[in-house]
Amino acid sequence: MLRHLRIIRVFVAASTQQELAYHANFAISLLNALLKLATGWLGLVIVFEQVDALNGWDYAAALAVLGVYLLVGALRDLVLAPSLNQLAGLEGDIWQGTFDFVLLRPANTQFLVSVRQWQIFAVFDVVMALLVIAAACAQITLTAANLLAFLLLLTGGVITIYAMMLIFSSLLFWSPGFLFTWVFDGIFQMARYPVGIYPGALGLLLTWVIPIGIITTVPAQALTGDISAEMMLATLIFAVVALAVASLLFRRATNRYASASS
Amino acid sequence: MNHRGGWALIRSTWLSWMEQRTFFFLVAFGWMVPPLIYLFVWATVAGESTVGGMTRDAFICYYLVLSFVNQVTYSQTNWTVGDMIRMGDFNRLLLYPMSPTYNTLASEFAGKAVMLSFVVPVILGLGLLLRPEVALSPAGIAAFLPTLLLAWLLRFLWGYWLALLAFWLTRTDALLALQDALVFVLAGQVAPVAVLPGFIQTLAVLLPFRYMIGFPVEVLLGQLAVGELLLGFGLQVGWLLVAWILFRILWRRGLRHYEAVGG
Amino acid sequence: MPDSQIEVENLTKVYHVPEREAGLTASVRSFFRRTYRDVLAVKGISFSIEAGEIVGFIGANGAGKTTTLKMLTGLLQPSSGSATIAGFTPWERQPAYLRRISMVMGNKSQMLWDIPPLDTFRVLGAIYGLSSVEAARTVNELVELLQMQNLLTKPVRNMSLGERMKCELTAALIHRPEVLFLDEPTIGLDVSAQRRLRQFIVDYNRQSGVTVMLTSHYMADVMELCNRVILIQQGKLIYDGDLAALSQQLAPFKLVRLTLNIDDPVRALRACLPPDAEILAGMNGDITLRLDRTKTAHIIAHLLNSLPVDDLSIENPPIEAVIDQIYQGEEVL
Repeated sequence: MLRHLRIIRVFVAASTQQELAYHANFAISLLNALLKLATGWLGLVIVFEQVDALNGWDYAAALAVLGVYLLVGALRDLVLAPSLNQLAGLEGDIWQGTFDFVLLRPANTQFLVSVRQWQIFAVFDVVMALLVIAAACAQITLTAANLLAFLLLLTGGVITIYAMMLIFSSLLFWSPGFLFTWVFDGIFQMARYPVGIYPGALGLLLTWVIPIGIITTVPAQALTGDISAEMMLATLIFAVVALAVASLLFRRATNRYASASS
Repeated sequence: MNHRGGWALIRSTWLSWMEQRTFFFLVAFGWMVPPLIYLFVWATVAGESTVGGMTRDAFICYYLVLSFVNQVTYSQTNWTVGDMIRMGDFNRLLLYPMSPTYNTLASEFAGKAVMLSFVVPVILGLGLLLRPEVALSPAGIAAFLPTLLLAWLLRFLWGYWLALLAFWLTRTDALLALQDALVFVLAGQVAPVAVLPGFIQTLAVLLPFRYMIGFPVEVLLGQLAVGELLLGFGLQVGWLLVAWILFRILWRRGLRHYEAVGG
Repeated sequence: MPDSQIEVENLTKVYHVPEREAGLTASVRSFFRRTYRDVLAVKGISFSIEAGEIVGFIGANGAGKTTTLKMLTGLLQPSSGSATIAGFTPWERQPAYLRRISMVMGNKSQMLWDIPPLDTFRVLGAIYGLSSVEAARTVNELVELLQMQNLLTKPVRNMSLGERMKCELTAALIHRPEVLFLDEPTIGLDVSAQRRLRQFIVDYNRQSGVTVMLTSHYMADVMELCNRVILIQQGKLIYDGDLAALSQQLAPFKLVRLTLNIDDPVRALRACLPPDAEILAGMNGDITLRLDRTKTAHIIAHLLNSLPVDDLSIENPPIEAVIDQIYQGEEVL
């Protein structure tokens, strides 16, 4: 465990240096974080100018969904996306064969692949997201139990998005040139609104198959106290199962790499 | 001008991009998602009643057409021009015995053709699935095509003059990101302009962004009175002239600057 | 348990390659029922290497070198056979094993591009679980040995290939491996960089006692570094022994240099040589013949009897020529 923390620390240090090598990144990242915040917030304000509730969600609750969306997205951009994206594309580790070096390390491959690159300026996004969540909290009556449930389900959401990204990245071992992660990124944008607005099959798909509902809607529901114990349990079980499936698939993918010609 | 070389360039760009079509399909998919999100948001908001004079079906039609117009007018070239200037690849462009405009046109046409081959079937499929009731007037259709063409030119030239600032600034991608945010709010993406709240609506009508995407959609669906239509058309042409003048000035000065500092 | 550092028994690798046929109907059919073809990349090779040896592993492109190396480093599962390296089975990929080995690939980099090499070394130190003191000491030693003090703070992307290769070596040796695999380490380097790199390998091997297995297409690498070579051809081991003996054993012909004391030596030779003997370059009566090794003694006896020979010597062909012939797939055994 200590060793893993030390590995994460050196990865963070090295990534920070890489990023600081490009001066403009600082200002650009700050600008992008502000734009994300502004457009996200306007997207809600404009809707709630017209109605008081969106599919049963009032402004505060929808703001909580947006906050969770921004927070999970920020954590993704902080470490998961930069790390896993190194596998993808024609410059990526699988296509180039530099994945060999990852396999040669005396440490867990999945761990290395998931934490090796940090985009440190995404902390701006984290800060903005926390501001939005705080703003949502200010408009509801927040109980300690709700906060606890929120933190629990937020963890579940983060585990779920990690599992999803790992699954999409594992598929790269079968088709290294195809940008699977883009597909997920595209779909994940839909998580900025409560998943209930998507009708019929699309809604079910987004709750249980590509579970953006579990990633953002459910934690926000926990914050506003609008969730049943059964749903909480189901969500957490889903997160754990998704992680197990993803790890299994990733192992199969690396075994495939280890039996393929190159 | 060397038209034959230009045509050959367009053809070969198209062929090579068809080869990599899954990549472009993915890009197109990514661009389609935001309009789809707001389709469902506003369809939910409208429910059984109307919002800003629009029914659920009207919103569905609006956003289906909007995702088509967005795809047609989006210019990926603007992101690459800045890179080319910075990396010095611009030299290569200037070496060709024809106007660099052809290069841009080639990637514009090729990209659009490849992406539309993905987007149009998806939009038609969604239309069949959601079955919105819609009545198109011949006048709307007739006015749609010229406004769409002007919208493309405007969005293209507007992005291009921003990208040309790369001759003097190192990071134009910040400007383009800002531009995308403005387009998102003011061009009719987050909501049809008619639904925007007072102050923002006034901005949207006056600034150029609506005329890059939202305006042709409103025209096609017959949402505008004759007066609004004529005003909109006038503003669209006016902004296009502004963009053209800015583009010409920056292009000429930029090249001089480029030659002076040696790329 | 074997005493050798590397013990390989009957190692075999078969690739299942999906068969692709041209045409739409064929590709639709193969979508539903894929047919596979077996490609035998490595065919039951066996050898053992003692600790501290430097062994050259040579063969033509596609002979199975990289496949073998990948199995020995645990990157690839073999189809059958066994290997024991430092007491471990490589493809179980136990951390304790991976800590004992290292690999340098001439065409792949493990450095982080945008930052100075010291930072990559720091990352590797943490991954290999070295204390910072320990890691710093090893890096200092290697930096001394490779004379790369000036490179430590230079971003890797600004380095020449030779400079980068020094960094790759330090990165690979930071955890003091017992076995070092070098896959084409000199590829693309200029001649003097190649020479320095070879010198380093010799020095480091002497100092640390590391076992080295090296593949290279440059015979100079192999000749200078390796007392022993293992040659594989189409997945089969065809020679294992010292390099000098290789040409004696495997060359199918001998070179005979001779000087004749007559006017038109070439025509005279033609007349009394068998048709498969080749007459190579000749100047001022100095002539080189290429003769089938089994017939050499007989032909020379005949020449000495029938022509006025001033001078004559018999040589084995240069190693490059022998290797070239083997790589081109000519039967040699």
